[in-house]
Amino acid sequence: MNSRSATVIGYVLGFALLFVIWHLASQYLVSSVLFPSPFPVFERGWVLLEEGLLQESIWASMRRIIQGFLLGSAIGIPVGLAIGSFRPVRLLLEPWTEFFRFIPAVAMITVAVIWFGIGEESKIFLIAYTTVFVVIIATAAGVGAVGRDKIRAAQCLGANKFQVFALVALPATVPYILTGMRLAMANAFVTIVAAELVASNDGLGKMLWDARLFMQVEDIFVALISLGLLGFATDRVFRLLIRAFAGRFNPTM
Amino acid sequence: MVGFVELDGVGMTFRGRTGAYEAVRDFNLELSEGEFFCLLGTSGCGKTTVMNMLAGFDTPTAGQIRLEGKPVRGPGADRGVVFQGHDSLYDWLTARDNIAFGLRLRGMGRSERRAIADRFLNMVGLTGQGSKHPSELSGGMKQRIQIARALANDPRMLLMDEPFGALDAMTRAVLQTELSRIWSENRKTVLFITHDIEEACALATRVGVMKRGPGGTLKAVVPIDLPYPRERTSDAFMASFRQVHELIHAEIHPHE
Repeated sequence: MNSRSATVIGYVLGFALLFVIWHLASQYLVSSVLFPSPFPVFERGWVLLEEGLLQESIWASMRRIIQGFLLGSAIGIPVGLAIGSFRPVRLLLEPWTEFFRFIPAVAMITVAVIWFGIGEESKIFLIAYTTVFVVIIATAAGVGAVGRDKIRAAQCLGANKFQVFALVALPATVPYILTGMRLAMANAFVTIVAAELVASNDGLGKMLWDARLFMQVEDIFVALISLGLLGFATDRVFRLLIRAFAGRFNPTM
Repeated sequence: MVGFVELDGVGMTFRGRTGAYEAVRDFNLELSEGEFFCLLGTSGCGKTTVMNMLAGFDTPTAGQIRLEGKPVRGPGADRGVVFQGHDSLYDWLTARDNIAFGLRLRGMGRSERRAIADRFLNMVGLTGQGSKHPSELSGGMKQRIQIARALANDPRMLLMDEPFGALDAMTRAVLQTELSRIWSENRKTVLFITHDIEEACALATRVGVMKRGPGGTLKAVVPIDLPYPRERTSDAFMASFRQVHELIHAEIHPHE
């Protein structure tokens, strides 16, 4: 049995075990309507899928995550490269990153709603906000970690400053950028749910909040499982990307 | 007559937070074109500093370095460097693309690059390994790639900073023999840094022995006038070895 199928079987069995324990706990340990067994949850999930409501919520949340995440990365990568490459830029911008990264996006929901309202803009702003500092810090660290001999070797082969940057520093930093983006994606999930809980017309966070209001416990669980699966899937995609583009850089990543 | 490489009263003093450290003092050396010069010295004698100055990584604080009469200012493609560690290879490129890196910088076309890279892959004995990435190659193979990368760029001279220092003894001996063969074929001027007496005697046309640091400088130059490949157990080789050994020994045990 190769390691790939072993991994797949491990995951399938692991998830199956989770649902078995959940079922047993709901039947024999808690036995309350507030903690349903997985079966009614799956039934409810199926109904929501058939009605198209679940897809709508998932798409609303994922669209915001993707847009904000791409925007945040598009800002974070060049800024991180500049901070890592140029000392004056670092001295100037490091206070920003060191300051803002301790103000969580969740705390920024208030200003985001005041500035942008409860529509798309505030969500995209918050996701971009939570993405940008993680990506900046990871990218700048990656630039700083490019081996001195790699740069010297390029100079001795005739590389000018631009070539050293584009052909050595940039590719050497790619694994760090991807790792930063992967961490940022986890933050984005936290942020989108919080933002949609507080102020939104749709999305998984809104679904959670409404279900709480109307005591639809199954709906809450459907939303939670959807979040888990979405996060799991996006993280897998990142791991694949890191392996495809960066696996050969550093076997430990 | 001007030498091919001239180091003229070269000195290097590093200034740090803990004060100044004079690594190299009044270093004088002339290399002629096509010679294989080994700079031999104990650790901390300043031999790597000499190489770093010639490579253009460090600027001398005294004296001048000239290559073919022109003062050395910063690193350049006329001086190919082979580093001790193989961190200098580009992990994201194949062996072939690593070797062709300098050609790519000059804007040479893909097929031409490939042909040249393959020629140098053959030269360093890695025929057919061109599509592998550095992570798939052994330490010895990576150093072969480094040598091929430096030579493929056709520099005026080659600087080698203990390139085999991190390899096991067997691989080191094999690569020394290979390097002698490669050098005999293309006769590039080489400055080779080492602390291994046998390595110096096996490779060099001349061995320069350095005094201990700080303030390291050239103590003596020993010509090794033996044909390649060198028979390391021959009497003539042993005689050279002994001569160099005595010079170095006095630096290791200065008070005997």
